[in-house]
Amino acid sequence: MNGEFILKLVLECILLPFFAIFFGLLLKGIDRKLVARMQARVGPPIRQPFLDVIKLFSKENIVPEHAVKWIYNAMPLVCLASSIMVLFYIPLGFPPLLAGHGDLVLVLYILIIPSLAMIAGGFASSSPFATVGAQREMVTMISYELPLSIVIMSIAFYLPGSNSFSLDFISSHPLWNSVGVLGFAGLILLLMSLIIVTPGELAKVPFDVAEAETEIAEGVMVEYSGRNLALFYMADGVKIFAFASLIVAIFFPYSISPLLNLTGLYADIANFLFFILKVVIVMIFSVSIIRAAVARYRITSVVTGYWVTVAMMALIGLLLLMWDMHYHVRWS
Amino acid sequence: MLKTYAGSWDAITWIIAFITIAIVVYIIRSFGRKDYRKGEAQKAFFSGEDVLSPEEMHVRASNIYWGFVEAMKGYYAWMRKIHNGIINDYIAWFVGVAAIMFIVFFIQEVIK
Repeated sequence: MNGEFILKLVLECILLPFFAIFFGLLLKGIDRKLVARMQARVGPPIRQPFLDVIKLFSKENIVPEHAVKWIYNAMPLVCLASSIMVLFYIPLGFPPLLAGHGDLVLVLYILIIPSLAMIAGGFASSSPFATVGAQREMVTMISYELPLSIVIMSIAFYLPGSNSFSLDFISSHPLWNSVGVLGFAGLILLLMSLIIVTPGELAKVPFDVAEAETEIAEGVMVEYSGRNLALFYMADGVKIFAFASLIVAIFFPYSISPLLNLTGLYADIANFLFFILKVVIVMIFSVSIIRAAVARYRITSVVTGYWVTVAMMALIGLLLLMWDMHYHVRWS
Repeated sequence: MLKTYAGSWDAITWIIAFITIAIVVYIIRSFGRKDYRKGEAQKAFFSGEDVLSPEEMHVRASNIYWGFVEAMKGYYAWMRKIHNGIINDYIAWFVGVAAIMFIVFFIQEVIK
């Protein structure tokens, strides 16, 4: 680590939050518009999340009288900062900004921090609704971590050689190219598992039991307002961007520049735009369609759904990948 | 930097990046409105009901994982039943599991 590296890192840290927040809010806008159209509503304009943030910044930032003030104020900041941190280790149409400084296991750990920040913020609110919401968030987190870990371990297990947990390595060795018939079926199951984990990780319907507006009045968020709520709101958008990027990096890491015979800067621009398109498509399938079509589950159904159904699906995917390695049943 | 056969983690880089991003987020946050009404507006929302004082509200450890324990109650009931405190039963479990493991490993070696 030298001075030049630290300077570059600090510059990236200053620019990346604006990039992440912009694309996060844009994705939220697209999601809201699409869901509205699927439900035969006109829906808000795509720029609505930006307007929401501006409005929240102009609102009072009320701190409840019995709240643990420093935790209550710090957690939205931790939530947004850790959501942005994930993007440092994920390829965004170009190699990760911190390639070689962290791997997929680290990404798994960083993805836990925003949820923990929400839980701590909820408990610090000293509100009954927020306390129930924080408990539910914790249980949801325990539930989706099992299938998520199985999917990640399966991918790293299948890839040959060292650095199999490195996202740079995973995205430069697309799995679909190397698997046989059994492995292909296994990858489909793993992808489906990850798509079902996504709404849980992002606290979206049908796994938004921790917020559940109609039951516990937004749960962990009930006491948050003004700029603190704006930070949580932006973190939500950044998490959508980060998690969809993770799915793209693992399952759809293909570039478009070789297809268009582009090189240099044009290739980078084309690859980045193609990456954003893939992120939007992944978001539509893993967030928008699901939340437009399904109602909210009970907390017990979330646990059994993830620990039994989705975990089993992921385990079968892992078994198929293992058999693929042993039996090598090829397409032709 | 921690480097293993399968991956790596540079904690120093992580800390530098996290602190810098936290400062940027703090600056973004500082653009928001700081003031708020004291008194009535600070009371926690509880659908119009009075909220108990923090001293009267306790969240027990068993409450925190309620949803999980409730969903898995069949499993927990079975686990509680076999944890009966009788040492003879624990030894029987130990011997039984050791026998199964021995058979599994024995069969594996025979197949090889």
